[in-house]
Amino acid sequence: MSQEHIEHAIRKEYAAGFTTDIESDTLPPGLNEDTIRFISGRKNEPEWLLEWRLQAYRDWLQMAEPAWAHVNYPPVKFNEISYFSSPKAMKDRPQSLDEVDPQLIETYNKLGIPLHEQAALAGVAVDAVFDSVSVTTTFREKLWEAGVIFCSISEAVHDYPELIKKYLGSVVPRKDNFYAALNSAVFSDGSFVYIPKGVRCPMELSTYFRINEANTGQFERTLIVADEGSHVSYLEGCTAPMRDENQLHAAVVELVALDGAEIKYSTVQNWYPGDAEGKGGIYNFVTKRGVAHRDSKISWTQVETGSAITWKYPSCILRGDNSVGEFYSVALTNNAQQADTGTKMIHLGKNTRSTIISKGISAGKSSNAYRGLVRMSPRAEGARNYTQCDSLLIGDRCAAHTFPYIESRNPSAVIEHEATTSKVSDDQLYLCQQRGLDAEKAVSMIVNGFCKEVFRELPMEFAMEAGKLLEVSLEGSVG
Amino acid sequence: MLKIDNLHASVENKAILKGLDLAVGAGEVHAIMGPNGSGKSTLGHVLAGRPGYTVTAGSAQLLGQDLLTLDTEERAHLGLFLAYQYPVEIPGVSNMEFLKASVDAVREHRNEPALDSVSFMKQAREACKAVNLDQAFLKRGVNEGFSGGEKKRNELMQMMLLAPKLCIMDETDSGLDIDALQVVADGINAMRSPDRSFILVTHYQRLLNFIKPDRVHVLSGGRIVKSGDHSLALELEERGYAWLEDVA
Amino acid sequence: MNDFMQQALAAASRSAPPWLEPLQARGREAWSNTSMPTRKTEAWKYTSLQALQKTFSAAPTQAAGSPLGDVPLPKLSGPTLVFTDGHYRADLSTTELPAGLRLVRFADATRDQAERIAAALGSAILPGRHVFAPLNDATLTDGVFMDVAANTRIETPVHIAWLTTGQNESISVTQRLLVSLGENSGATLVESFANTATGGTAFTNGLTELLIGRGAQLNHYRLHLEQGDVVHIGGVHARQEADSTLNGFHLALGSALKRIDLVVNHQGAGAHCSLDGLYLPRGTETVDYHTCIEHAVPHCTSRERFRGIIADEASAVFNGRIHIHPQAQKTRAELSNKNLLTSNKAEINTKPELEIYADDVQCAHGATVAQLDPLTLHYLRTRGVPRDEAEVMLSYGFINELVEAVEQAELQAFLKPLLARRFARDSRLTRHIL
Repeated sequence: MSQEHIEHAIRKEYAAGFTTDIESDTLPPGLNEDTIRFISGRKNEPEWLLEWRLQAYRDWLQMAEPAWAHVNYPPVKFNEISYFSSPKAMKDRPQSLDEVDPQLIETYNKLGIPLHEQAALAGVAVDAVFDSVSVTTTFREKLWEAGVIFCSISEAVHDYPELIKKYLGSVVPRKDNFYAALNSAVFSDGSFVYIPKGVRCPMELSTYFRINEANTGQFERTLIVADEGSHVSYLEGCTAPMRDENQLHAAVVELVALDGAEIKYSTVQNWYPGDAEGKGGIYNFVTKRGVAHRDSKISWTQVETGSAITWKYPSCILRGDNSVGEFYSVALTNNAQQADTGTKMIHLGKNTRSTIISKGISAGKSSNAYRGLVRMSPRAEGARNYTQCDSLLIGDRCAAHTFPYIESRNPSAVIEHEATTSKVSDDQLYLCQQRGLDAEKAVSMIVNGFCKEVFRELPMEFAMEAGKLLEVSLEGSVG
Repeated sequence: MLKIDNLHASVENKAILKGLDLAVGAGEVHAIMGPNGSGKSTLGHVLAGRPGYTVTAGSAQLLGQDLLTLDTEERAHLGLFLAYQYPVEIPGVSNMEFLKASVDAVREHRNEPALDSVSFMKQAREACKAVNLDQAFLKRGVNEGFSGGEKKRNELMQMMLLAPKLCIMDETDSGLDIDALQVVADGINAMRSPDRSFILVTHYQRLLNFIKPDRVHVLSGGRIVKSGDHSLALELEERGYAWLEDVA
Repeated sequence: MNDFMQQALAAASRSAPPWLEPLQARGREAWSNTSMPTRKTEAWKYTSLQALQKTFSAAPTQAAGSPLGDVPLPKLSGPTLVFTDGHYRADLSTTELPAGLRLVRFADATRDQAERIAAALGSAILPGRHVFAPLNDATLTDGVFMDVAANTRIETPVHIAWLTTGQNESISVTQRLLVSLGENSGATLVESFANTATGGTAFTNGLTELLIGRGAQLNHYRLHLEQGDVVHIGGVHARQEADSTLNGFHLALGSALKRIDLVVNHQGAGAHCSLDGLYLPRGTETVDYHTCIEHAVPHCTSRERFRGIIADEASAVFNGRIHIHPQAQKTRAELSNKNLLTSNKAEINTKPELEIYADDVQCAHGATVAQLDPLTLHYLRTRGVPRDEAEVMLSYGFINELVEAVEQAELQAFLKPLLARRFARDSRLTRHIL
């Protein structure tokens, strides 16, 4: 973590809120089959993928936007969004970092994501997605030696068509839900990871997403396939400039953990949340799901502080016997933010295990809901789930909700769910202040303590960043 | 009383007992000592038939009957009693209900008439007194909210009421202060008789100052590696268990 | 309107007292604007109303004179009103009332009483919160108004038994109870729902409204003892004024389908409610309890404990919502829901929900689903208790806490054997429980 990045992080406003003045190649707003043909054409995609996209689009047209989440926002005008924006210089992919637009590199440096390999966070390989296009992937050679494929999904379509054909949409089907269908139709780029059998990925893999252009949506798609007995840890970070209008982010992430594999997926989501009055901000409507085969493990860790609206349920389908699913989440909402987030643990295999630890913090006049599903299928002999959902309220204008769905059809499965709600107590505040901390610092410290079980699960660089993010996001929450 | 030959047992496919031999005569008190993880507690659970404990070879006979083919409750009817190291809490089932069900079941098997409520209550109250437990414990859920020491004394009370032939005390001394230890030891000593045997499973020889064993065995690596009289226990206390690995 | 909805309306052919007609008319109007919930309706996600596709005809116009036979009803020492197939049965009722208590049948109401009833009916039901309430209004011909005068403590329990006899093929019966407790009064109310062993199919719509005055305390027991093909869609809606207490106990033993909504609305500071519930479906029965505590004012408390044991191919739904409104500071609310599945084909869907808009509150909920703990079972067996008896003891032990908490002694004495025998008919297996 660079000193510069720390300084950025503790700045008291949305620190990632700068825009970058780059000449870009942006599709005019609007969505129809031609839009999709354009995107597919620009990416030189094979015919089958174009067909796949078009089918998704046609399905999407038949679908209704989900209304069950505990969030309120004016209807999204899908025809006023631009579905493709690419930094112009990227039209022909840069062959090396020297060819990357220096201003773009500057953007990433501001974000604390140095792309230059020598300056990169030790041991972290980065794929950076800027608006719709994957800009560059670092450490490629080193990964190549280990047999690990880490590239943009557009490249993977050309270079590894069998893998893409086999796994794209295999976890989140094309018409899984409204936003997933939209993503399937218009996804622009994203990361692809393949870890071969028995390989332990030699470094953390990381993707940073940034929406830069006004009126653009970002629809990235991530696919991670961990072959038998392999292991990978993947980090994802997101930021966007401050803009008055809402921007749509509808991503899809698919994880496949084959027998004995382990995938650890961590997210620090800091999309622009809008201003204190709720103007602007990202609509973050994301579908993330993993399929865990026999003896494998999928672990989701998320720190969600950004976005005006969050609609996101990273889930595990525990298909194979003895597979393990984990979900560790901190979701913080302040001001006018609204979050409806949680997870689904679908236990299909025998002796499958899942753990859900969710920490929701509401401040300002925000609304923060945990929504989760734990399902034990008739086959899930001996399965277990443990869920702990805690909410912390800061101030008397915010809201905290818990909606856990628990379904069991196997008597030998054991489910335990607990939820509590509390506020930052006056006693705690008093103690901290008596020890010389100001109220804001004290709240931030208490919140950090509240989230400790989740932060512990994050890779170290992210854990530091997460703590700072909470501090920044809580700005102004103590009266 | 008890005869164990070449007993092999595993838990979750991991072999814990690896050819254990042991013979306990009527009226004898045997102590089984050993380092942590040597299989001491496993022995008791295997004899009681706990789910998940699989016997892979060998035999165990109680009073001439093959224990290993019997259901757990049949072993209890035959006279086996295992005092748990960590007794189970059963909220919603009162201690009294539980004790009466146990005593009735065991008496039925011995072709003894069922105790009427009055006589049972009398016996239960006496047992409470003997182990220094307040009678209010009879009405509470089984072990529910009991302290560690109270749970151990509750186990002892059950043992008194069931009057078993072979009592296996699994680390009954652990977590007890000196006064509680005295109560437990007095209870056990009071129950000693020519037709009742005891196996005391313990890590420390402290208990054996209160209950004098006829034989002391050292369990290590799933087998009995050394046997002797009480002096062996004293020697273990002085020298620890490490030297035995050379013996084994 | 679908067939069921029309039939259900048509079934209300009997004449009602004229003062009920405006309510009926409003009910008909609202019912015809109601859309039947489907599995896509959040509150009906897990419960299908397929069972209502049968043909239900009007209940018989005359009360059957037959004795009740072996209907398992509690024998309580207080006044008892018995209804069979919607008809009041004077021959089976005892109506000696203590001072301060009035039990008024709608059909018998004087003009003054009718005015009070008409004004109060429906007032405890929050708008739109009971899908089948309009149908109950529309088909209402008789019901009971229980009125407890202020500053009166009624010691003896009031028992109201709603029975169906199954003498006709399949009937539709409307049941309605309105309870009003004056300030600082106290009462115990037992509602039993049962059917005679001759069976028959019935759709029963039982709606109870509780208006609990300032400082008053109501102990309310609602026992669903129906068996066989009865479909019951009902609910209890309570409005609590300041410093009042509602202690509710709910039991559902099964029958084809029961959907019961319990909604408690705290309107005055210092109100407390506790809801205990047991559901024990077996065979192919379905039980669905939806509870909601509306904490609308500060300084109120609530506690819910629901336990379910689901056997065979039965299924159960529990949805427990706690809703803390923005001004409801200093609320304390807790909810616990525990479930045992005793068969490979049993199913449970539970959803404890918290919806919180105030910060200075203490709320917690927990839910568990499991089978009898194998190690606990083993422990009992190491003490010589046979497996089958140990299973019965542990099953009963799972609900025992709530049975022990039933304060009305006669009722507890009735419930214990009834529930224990639910787990085993063989008295050898229940002898240590009873």
